[in-house]
Amino acid sequence: MTQRRTRSELGVGALLLILGVALSTAVPDYRAQEWALWVIYGLLALSFTFVWGHAGIFSFGQAAFFGIGGYAYGITGIDLSGRTNETLTALVAAACVAAIVAAALGYFIFYGNVGDVYVAIITLAVTLVLLTVMSSTADPKYHVGAAALGGYNGLVGVPPLMLPGADGPVLLGSNALLAGCVILAVAVAVLLSILRRRPFGRIVAGVRENELRTSLLGYDVRRYKLASFVIGGAVAGLAGGLYAAWGLFINPAVFGLQQAALVAIWVLVGGRDSILGAFVGVAFVQGLSSTLGGSGGSATPIVLGAVLIAVVLVLPRGMVPSATALLRRFLAPPRSSPEPATAAAPDALRPEMPTRANTMAPQSIEAVDLHKTFGGVQALRGASLSLPAQSVHCLIGPNGAGKSTCFNLLAGRYGPTKGRVRMGTTDITRLRPDQRARLGMGIKLQVPSFYATLTAYENVWLAGYVRHRDARAAGERAHAVLAWLGLTARAGEDAGSLSHGEHQWLEIGMVVAGEPVVVLLDEPTAGMGREETLRTVDLIRALAVDATVVVVEHDMEFVRVLDAPVTMFHEGRVFASGSISELRADEQVLDIYLGRTSTADVAG
Amino acid sequence: MHGDQLVNFAASLLTSVALLVVISLGLAVIFGMMGVINLAHGEFLMLGAFFTLSGVRAGLNVWLAMIAAALAVGLVGLAVERLLIQFLYGRLAATMLATWGLSLILVQVVVLAYGPATQGIPTPLGAVRVGRYSLSEYNLVLIGAALLLLAVVFLVFTRTRYGTMARAATQLPDMAGAVGINARRVNMLTFGFGAALAGAGGALLAPVAGVVPSMGQAYVGRAFMTVVVGGPGVLTGTATAAGLLGSVDSLVSNVFSSFLGTASLLLVAIVLLRLLPTGISGRWRRQL
Amino acid sequence: MSSALTLRHRRRCTAIVAVGLLALLTACGGSGSGGTTGGGSGSSEPIKVGSILDETGPLNIYGKAMSDATKLAISDINAKGGVNGRMLQLVSYDAQSDNAKYTQYATTLAQKDKVAVVMGGITSASREAIRPVLDRTKTLYFYNEQYEGGVCDENTFLTGVVPSQQLAALVPYAMNKYGKKVYVVAADYNYGRISTQWVEKYASENGGSVVTSEFIPLESTDFRSVINNLQAGRPDVVMSLLVGGNHIAFYRQYSSTGLIKTLPLVSATFGLGNEQVVLSPAEDKGIVIATPYIQSLDNPENKRFVALWHKQYGDNYPYITDSAVTAWNGWHLWAAAANAAKSVDRAAVTKALEAGISIDAPSGKVTMDGKSHHVIQNVSIGETNSTQGFTVLDTKADVPPAFEQEVCDLVANPATNKQFTP
Repeated sequence: MTQRRTRSELGVGALLLILGVALSTAVPDYRAQEWALWVIYGLLALSFTFVWGHAGIFSFGQAAFFGIGGYAYGITGIDLSGRTNETLTALVAAACVAAIVAAALGYFIFYGNVGDVYVAIITLAVTLVLLTVMSSTADPKYHVGAAALGGYNGLVGVPPLMLPGADGPVLLGSNALLAGCVILAVAVAVLLSILRRRPFGRIVAGVRENELRTSLLGYDVRRYKLASFVIGGAVAGLAGGLYAAWGLFINPAVFGLQQAALVAIWVLVGGRDSILGAFVGVAFVQGLSSTLGGSGGSATPIVLGAVLIAVVLVLPRGMVPSATALLRRFLAPPRSSPEPATAAAPDALRPEMPTRANTMAPQSIEAVDLHKTFGGVQALRGASLSLPAQSVHCLIGPNGAGKSTCFNLLAGRYGPTKGRVRMGTTDITRLRPDQRARLGMGIKLQVPSFYATLTAYENVWLAGYVRHRDARAAGERAHAVLAWLGLTARAGEDAGSLSHGEHQWLEIGMVVAGEPVVVLLDEPTAGMGREETLRTVDLIRALAVDATVVVVEHDMEFVRVLDAPVTMFHEGRVFASGSISELRADEQVLDIYLGRTSTADVAG
Repeated sequence: MHGDQLVNFAASLLTSVALLVVISLGLAVIFGMMGVINLAHGEFLMLGAFFTLSGVRAGLNVWLAMIAAALAVGLVGLAVERLLIQFLYGRLAATMLATWGLSLILVQVVVLAYGPATQGIPTPLGAVRVGRYSLSEYNLVLIGAALLLLAVVFLVFTRTRYGTMARAATQLPDMAGAVGINARRVNMLTFGFGAALAGAGGALLAPVAGVVPSMGQAYVGRAFMTVVVGGPGVLTGTATAAGLLGSVDSLVSNVFSSFLGTASLLLVAIVLLRLLPTGISGRWRRQL
Repeated sequence: MSSALTLRHRRRCTAIVAVGLLALLTACGGSGSGGTTGGGSGSSEPIKVGSILDETGPLNIYGKAMSDATKLAISDINAKGGVNGRMLQLVSYDAQSDNAKYTQYATTLAQKDKVAVVMGGITSASREAIRPVLDRTKTLYFYNEQYEGGVCDENTFLTGVVPSQQLAALVPYAMNKYGKKVYVVAADYNYGRISTQWVEKYASENGGSVVTSEFIPLESTDFRSVINNLQAGRPDVVMSLLVGGNHIAFYRQYSSTGLIKTLPLVSATFGLGNEQVVLSPAEDKGIVIATPYIQSLDNPENKRFVALWHKQYGDNYPYITDSAVTAWNGWHLWAAAANAAKSVDRAAVTKALEAGISIDAPSGKVTMDGKSHHVIQNVSIGETNSTQGFTVLDTKADVPPAFEQEVCDLVANPATNKQFTP
């Protein structure tokens, strides 16, 4: 499937390439000059489409990487082209330098767990720092080799794109430059589009859709964000290099607020998640402003502003997605309505769960003297648990007793103030959720947590891939799990369109697909009817064949049916342990649960 | 350091901080209370300055002209909210695009109305001499105005019915409707209030800046930096962030150079956001 | 299955959109501003000439007046019978304060409109965007704006005043009048840096010195620390080399401290963006400037020019700036050269210009210096007055572009193409 898609992508790419190159040589050269700029800006916009539309990082830094690429090309070109007789090295340098800066900045941002809006502002601040710094290099003492940075005037004497030739360099004219830009742009677009379908692309999409879930599945979110950021930086840097080669100058204006915002504007106009949209957005906005600039009126900004507002109001998803939707409505053959949604629960009553491929042994899980303080509130004040491998265990307690805090400490969503957590013989106290997941921990949260805009198949695939690191094996696993869930018919639909009950099973399926050795379930029966609850009990027992299962629950009926060892929390401590019947015989437990006695009496 | 130098230095530092407060407060209200990234904030400042200019030229007392300008920009804000922003709630990126478009329009409308040339109004009050230095008395006005605007924001959000509702709508957006808060009205008023504050900021800038249609661009970057570094606390966050960034800028500019001042302001903002990923007030209990 | 279907379908749509878009672009290309092509050598056909300026965006504080001057110059030349009996037809573009647009429009002017000459560019950055394009397409280029000096390029003529000219007049005047210690506040910009060096040179030649020179980023609007520093420096006179809309705040803040009455201010840039209007008449009395053009210059050509300007644009037009007159001068120099050469061919016009053609301009006599491609012109010292204009105090006649003459000889070495720095 992936291969066929890749082949069709290459087909479309080749078509666009031939068309673009043919057109490049046919148009007059002033037109070629203009279009080359649009293609270059299109590449810049594309880098933002990838970073924002695909990876979900709203970065104002694309303009910065663009500028860095431009300067890198200019400096390398001025210093080296005389010796090497070509500037392809300079173009490579542009992409590389931008990627390196992106890596450094991305490491700083993503490994510091900076929030989304703040990423936008940090990248903006970095861009403005570059503006300030590069504008202040007018003094001739600021130079790299023969290239004087030139302050606000910028680098001058930047060499054009030159190919190495048998007798001296071959300078590219406007038409050849346009053709070159088209070739690079198509190549980058095809590569990015293939990348989006690769496991890396799927994981990045997962990060965009639901960071917490992705991390709980076992992916180091920071790494994937950083990688996307670096790729985006490299593409923007390449575009910057081409820009310098196009205009034969580069100056700090590329680091301005104007340019930084313009990148986002192009993509918003064209369509956030569309590769083609990046180029359409640029062609539209730049084409409009170029045309208006030639008409000599002083209303240019007014018209441009009004058009942008109109785009927002009329085409909220951007031009390309809106146009595609419209075309589809008119051109699409009427699709057969999907088969009636069978909200069938999985055949969990059948013990035949999808067979696991790996042979990791179930692990015991142990907590020693866990403390957790939030602000001034002591949520947990010394809880210890020791749950043997391959068992089911329930954590119960009234609201605020500390059971959910304990759950989150086991899952690694935050670290304990004091105490240790062990999985088997491994101390996992300081491990992040994704590291724990890779050791074999599977987690289902109380609130729904899946990828609404990815397909059901992709949801389960992502859970399976973390274990196998093999797209094909993960695919097989996903199909098996979906079949087991009875969701095969809906595998290709967005998970968001499934019913509420199906969401629950999908999440269970994601846990199963990860082939965990320790399973943590937070209130798995919340919102379920009696029938489903009973099935869940069976499911948990089936899971316990290969794993240690910890269930946080306060539905006492469910706990009774499950009939597993129970630990009861009260006021941040373990209050009692034993079988459910033992606990139900304990007067104090009943007092707490039914609120019959004041807590002070119990504590005393 | 001599006494006169110290006084001068302190005045300069406080004025820098005050300037950051007056240019950021409107943005903080609109961003903090509504989550709208208003890229036309700079143009609201610019409008405040131009309206003040018009008021003074029409013979109004300069202080009255400033108040009138703030109110006028508030009205512009109400109109913008009704005509544009209200269709875009919950669409962060769309509001950015729309307000960017709006900023282009506002700049050019002002160019057509006032011409592209820079204008100015005389600085009210005179200057005082402190030892070797001459200090503008208007600096004190700026410091006072910053405190006054902070007080106004505090009072509006704690002592008025609108303020209580607005805070409720921000903190519990799902519950607001249930307890009878008219979100449409609250949003409209918040945007208008934020715009009026921006207008006041612009009005206060008018006597110390070149009043020119493109002036918003010079301030908007700093305003965003201050608001975001401040974090979710509209009042406390903005005040602290302005205090911190303004002091750094002023200190470094005075001791070293303007270039290093600007650069250090941005670098401090970056480092702070890295260390406190939700802004200075992100972990504070009191969120106003 | 269904996903594969949707996908294939989506792809088809994408392809259709792409083709549609290309069709649209091509259509745009065909209809763009509908100019005639190949009107180069007709007999009575108008001669196309091109202009690119920032009429919108932040730089319009300079661009608007220059654009008005361009239109007025063209109609003046046409009213006097045009060039070689043919009318000029202006093709103008608004670069919207975006440097990439300069590259784009310069290419369009050279290759689509095929104009005889291109004039334009305001910032040095925009000039550096235009220059390589017009060098490559062999289209004559005029840059009409005060700048940092030193450009030496056979294809380019620069009619703006350069630091060596301006400061040669201003620095000695200021030192004689106010004292020997100068404090320089300059934009951290090529112009500011290079001009500061000239201030230092002329100051020491006149027995004075620069106490401190401070460089301010172009986006700075808060000048409190600068004003503190210059008070601490205790100079006799402050020299401002600030540029741009943001820096105008300096004059407001300077005057608000009352310093303007005690510490004299002289500037090579004040007035270019009508800065004098920013200050009230009471505040800005006595700021001394030096530019080739001051509106109140008393000469017949200036009287004619001002009358023409006000007739065209109304009496309420703000003070006419030096930049506007420089644009006017550029057009008239080119027209005079083309008339002398009896051709608009680039080589012929260049030859006529290099022969040292001169015109009577509103700023006085302007003569092209053939070797350096800069102009020899008057520099006038002016002082702000109570009508928000300038009073002419002194005029230094025929000031040569000393530095450019020294380093640049395009007659002997036409292949030179670089910007010299002192």
